[in-house]
Amino acid sequence: MEQTTTDHDTGGIGRRQLLSAVGGSAVAAALAGCSTLLSDGETADQGGQSGGEISDEPIQAGLLTFTRGAPGVLGIQAQRGAELAVQRINEAGGIGGQREIELDVVNEGSNPLDSYNQFIEEGKEVTFGPISSGTHSQIAPEIEKNEIINVSTDGTVTTLYEETVPDPTYSFRFQNYDIMEVVTMAREAVERIGADNISTVAGVNPGYSFGEDEMRVFTQAIQQLTDAEIVYEGFPELGASDMSNHITSINNEEPDVTFSSLWGGDVTTFVRQANANNMFENTTVFGTTLYSAAGDVPGDALAGTDIYSGSRNYYWGLPALGNWQPGRELFDAATQQEGVTVPTAHYMSGYGAVTAWATATEKAIDLLGTYPSQEQIAQVLEGHGFFTPAGYHNIAEDHQGASNSFAGQMVYDDDLGAARLDDVNTYAATETAPPPGVTGSDWLDSWSA
Amino acid sequence: MAVTPTAALVQTLNGIQFGFILFMIASGLTVILGILDVLNLAHGELFSLGAYTAIGVFGFIIGIVGPPGGGVVGTAVFVLAVLAAVLVTAAILLPVGTLFEAVFLRQIYDRDQVYQLVLTFALLLILLDVKKVIWGDSSIRTDAVYSAINTIPTSELVGLNYPTYNVFVILVGSVVVVGLFWFFERTKTGRIIRATAIDREMATAIGVSTDRVFTLVFALGAFLAGFAGAMAVPPTSATLEMGTNPLVLSFVVIVIGGLGSLRGAFVGALLVGVIRSWMITLYPPGEIAAPFAIMALILLVKPEGLFGTWGETA
Repeated sequence: MEQTTTDHDTGGIGRRQLLSAVGGSAVAAALAGCSTLLSDGETADQGGQSGGEISDEPIQAGLLTFTRGAPGVLGIQAQRGAELAVQRINEAGGIGGQREIELDVVNEGSNPLDSYNQFIEEGKEVTFGPISSGTHSQIAPEIEKNEIINVSTDGTVTTLYEETVPDPTYSFRFQNYDIMEVVTMAREAVERIGADNISTVAGVNPGYSFGEDEMRVFTQAIQQLTDAEIVYEGFPELGASDMSNHITSINNEEPDVTFSSLWGGDVTTFVRQANANNMFENTTVFGTTLYSAAGDVPGDALAGTDIYSGSRNYYWGLPALGNWQPGRELFDAATQQEGVTVPTAHYMSGYGAVTAWATATEKAIDLLGTYPSQEQIAQVLEGHGFFTPAGYHNIAEDHQGASNSFAGQMVYDDDLGAARLDDVNTYAATETAPPPGVTGSDWLDSWSA
Repeated sequence: MAVTPTAALVQTLNGIQFGFILFMIASGLTVILGILDVLNLAHGELFSLGAYTAIGVFGFIIGIVGPPGGGVVGTAVFVLAVLAAVLVTAAILLPVGTLFEAVFLRQIYDRDQVYQLVLTFALLLILLDVKKVIWGDSSIRTDAVYSAINTIPTSELVGLNYPTYNVFVILVGSVVVVGLFWFFERTKTGRIIRATAIDREMATAIGVSTDRVFTLVFALGAFLAGFAGAMAVPPTSATLEMGTNPLVLSFVVIVIGGLGSLRGAFVGALLVGVIRSWMITLYPPGEIAAPFAIMALILLVKPEGLFGTWGETA
């Protein structure tokens, strides 16, 4: 007898209700992490409603990400997330129940524009990535010119849709962008310490446009929330081996809050050297991307520290894995993949970018009854809502993804063999992002009005 | 920004510590340049190779002796084990340097310098790929040294908050400086090397094998780069790109001190270290520009560098 899914199996939700809730197709259910709730043992025919004109030709997709070197700490997470999403789509029968995805991964490296153009020359139907803000600013105008949809995994520079491509059609960004993660940490600092207790702020941020952008936004946000004075701003080079001068300056100033957007291996270097200099006796660190080093930073370096980190649009431990089966399955699948100690927000950036495009394409197939054009998929992506195991996400009409963001105290977990976040706070996108059409700077200025 | 006297002292110590690491790298570069007349673009990769190799060597040797035990003896054993690991790492680089000189560089000494630049750049790329093949794309680090040495009280004894590992670097760096000057000034081999640098033809005429001297000098340069890599890696990680910045800063150091001058490299390294440190303290955006500004200033005032080239003295 063929096994069927019952209301009991799905926790009281019927198959039709579940499908409807996650977006109407088995692909959407699989990407939301609900496939086990739907599973009847046959996956090949569970894709979205296929129109008669949909071929079974695989979809050629490209992912531009850092696959090596220092930025590989972030890029490999995004790659693994995208690969898992593609695997789940293909296991669910492919897009429209017919078209599996073949994902071509290329290192962002030193000539990312060439790599992107290569994707287009090869006839990719969709591209994902990049990680770097600089790369994103370079390729976004090309994306519009080529009229092939790109859903970026990161490249979170605030000015992308404000100045670089102010009226995009084919360029979308899944990940919460700079202003969202910075405002999250400004709110987190006030939440943890109290506005009245923050009178001095220092910053140690990467010495390039991302770090400078983050410090600028943090300064604006924290000064709207408190009467804080900025007492020190340091910008060590990416991959700096010695941060002791910045740490000594912080010890000299003893600021209430130290803001940092260091990421990857730089976090480990900073935390180890800061701990050796007893910096955490003099300040509390709030960082946007410190948790990107979760699998790298050693336990002894985190002992006795006072660090709060954001985790963009995903934190694997919330909801608790014991209570959230989709989260548990994603975590287990991710930690089986090469190079993933724990999945971080960059993992979700890859997973979510693919999911955004796939679920929008399925929705378009549902509406049209045939395979949609680039323009039609782009239209559906505007204002598109969808689920991943991290929860509900929305791509707003300004093409910017909006998701809950997370922040908590960064501690080392011996059982996990990696850092985790304790006492995690969640911030809604409405608290951290300007409404569509309003620039980040204007939005922050409006707080005092 | 008001800087307290304690912070001023710590920033100066930070600069001196950074300067000693720079000196350990730049000394090898300047010795090779001064004697072989070769600008070794692969020197940063030799430094990086030392860092990668050291992680394995630290793991092996400290795995044998264990973490610092209680009491003076246990601490001394641990420190000696760390020093032994650094020396073993540097020794591993000796045959690498020997191979590079004997197999590659020796063939092109009589050619235009541009060939040497291209060759050492090729060696740089080969070393980069070798590291990728052996250790992979991701950064690696050792957890066995930095925290353990920092548990040994040193600066706390005089009421200062300064990591013991940095004190260790300064002390070891001082010994390296003294040792190098002693080697070149007081030993027969050192004098032969200097004689070869001053007048290659005359040295050959009195029976010195310049081939041997050149191989020895290049191997010594690799030894120093490996030594520096092993000393530099415990507080940070070994990454594929880690050889680039030290190479550039080492060029700055030897230009400031005088191309080929060991004395100049020492003064230049400390100058760059301390001024960079104070620039970060007083005007952080000037961190990267500061060493180059000093170099430009020195070149304007004294184009041959502070101590000229290799010659009668090291």
